[in-house]
Amino acid sequence: MIPSPIPEESRQKIISVSDLKYVYEGGVQALNGVNLKVSKGEYLAIVGGNGSGKTTLAKSLNGLLKPTSGTVLVAGRSTIGLRVAELARIVGYAFQNPDHQLFCATVEEEVRFGPTNLGYPEEVTAAKVEKAIEAMSLGRLRKEPPLSLRLGERRRVSIASVLAMDPEVIILDEPTTGLDAEEAAELMARLRMFNDDGRTVVLITHDMKLVAEHARRVVVLANGRVSLDSDPRGAFSDLDLIRQSNLEPPAVTLLSHRFAEYGMPQDIISPEEFVLHLLRQRGGI
Amino acid sequence: MAMFIDLYTEADTFLHRMDPRVKVVSILLLSLLAFLVTNLYSLLVLLAFIFLLLFLSRATLSRTLFALKFVVRFMLLIVILWPLFDPTGTPVLATLGPVKITEPAIWRGVTSAVRVGCLATVWYILMFTTSQRDLVRALVKMGVRFDFGLALAISLRFLPTFGALIENIKDAQRARGLELGKGGLLKRSKNYVAVLVPTIVSALRTADTLALALQSRAYGARADRTYLRDLTMRAADYASLGVVIAIFALPMIARFVFDIGI
Repeated sequence: MIPSPIPEESRQKIISVSDLKYVYEGGVQALNGVNLKVSKGEYLAIVGGNGSGKTTLAKSLNGLLKPTSGTVLVAGRSTIGLRVAELARIVGYAFQNPDHQLFCATVEEEVRFGPTNLGYPEEVTAAKVEKAIEAMSLGRLRKEPPLSLRLGERRRVSIASVLAMDPEVIILDEPTTGLDAEEAAELMARLRMFNDDGRTVVLITHDMKLVAEHARRVVVLANGRVSLDSDPRGAFSDLDLIRQSNLEPPAVTLLSHRFAEYGMPQDIISPEEFVLHLLRQRGGI
Repeated sequence: MAMFIDLYTEADTFLHRMDPRVKVVSILLLSLLAFLVTNLYSLLVLLAFIFLLLFLSRATLSRTLFALKFVVRFMLLIVILWPLFDPTGTPVLATLGPVKITEPAIWRGVTSAVRVGCLATVWYILMFTTSQRDLVRALVKMGVRFDFGLALAISLRFLPTFGALIENIKDAQRARGLELGKGGLLKRSKNYVAVLVPTIVSALRTADTLALALQSRAYGARADRTYLRDLTMRAADYASLGVVIAIFALPMIARFVFDIGI
């Protein structure tokens, strides 16, 4: 269940952020010296409390926001000289609220919008659209008007509309908000497939359970800086730091800390692990 | 991400404490005065007075300029465009084909720009020193129906929200490769459909939810409303009102009684 980290040096850097600062018009300093390198094929979660700078960082990665100072390199090129539309080929960004993206008459048109904007030839566009529709299992809904779908379906349409641009990296802002457990699990499984395909996934979320179950790397933001960068196991073993960042570790990790005096390890991040250790201690295995 | 902010800023100055009714009347009188004054120097005196009020309300210069940056651009535009479209008066300073630049036209442009500056600043002071709740309370007290007051309050409250919403939707579509400023007129208007539809849909969804929220709090259950906080005029409020009425009346008397140009 828990994916093992792939050695970092063996892979190519797709995103490289150094000493990134961002100040909003009006003076709010959202990022205050962020350093972050993301390799191809990573499954990364950016976590942090409200106002920690998660969304600002994400918007900097696809050029929607240009650094006040510092640099953001995407595939080796600075975002400053690139238009958002150029960066969209490399970094896709699915916004938190699908209703902020959907406007077309049918799901298919909606998914087609991105690749058409990027100016791919018709047969390439058609192929990419098909692939994205399949990846988010929207085949049955392709002629439906996206705005009349359920939230979970609308979210899938908005993610498909980003996938259709065939980006190297996809950033998802709170992709499971408002979804029921089944819809969320299905969506996460589909993202896992995208990641297995060698693509990079960047998850922005508050949901530590989601992080523990899916991400291979956790970047904690607090006050516009990276306060922790590690695998989920390492991240959640430091309860104080996680709490200082206004986050709550997964329930099973908290439970394992309660069981510390009975010899339970402190870095449990999944129910399976917890049960395994419990059985082992009782001599069951 | 507070890119749009309510202009109101909490502080304890006499302008913040002033009865909002007095503020509304004062702002109306000063605005009217800005329209009635035709002389550039008198307008500059009025502007100076308004800036004094701004200073007394402890608005920082950087915040004011940030809030009024579009007004400043608009003023520059007036100064530049006015002489181009107003060929009347002498002396003529330059002639470029059909365009005649005259000295009085330049001054008229400057005068209009200063007038716009007066109006914008005086309303900015009202918004800066009066919470929207107080503003609506004042209007209702002055005879505006509560429904209209509430509608106004809600519109004011949601202006920044929708501003932020539109920015977010633009960003969301730009992330899908949409380039709003690109292409010919037709292509550009088509591009805006991608922003307009989600904006309208989100606005309607918000309005629906808001209506339900109002109903669930028994809005309209009683015709005669009671209020938690009532407005009372204090001595300082009467004094302020007197001063503003005098400031308005003196130039009016000068102009209409003694026929002195203002």
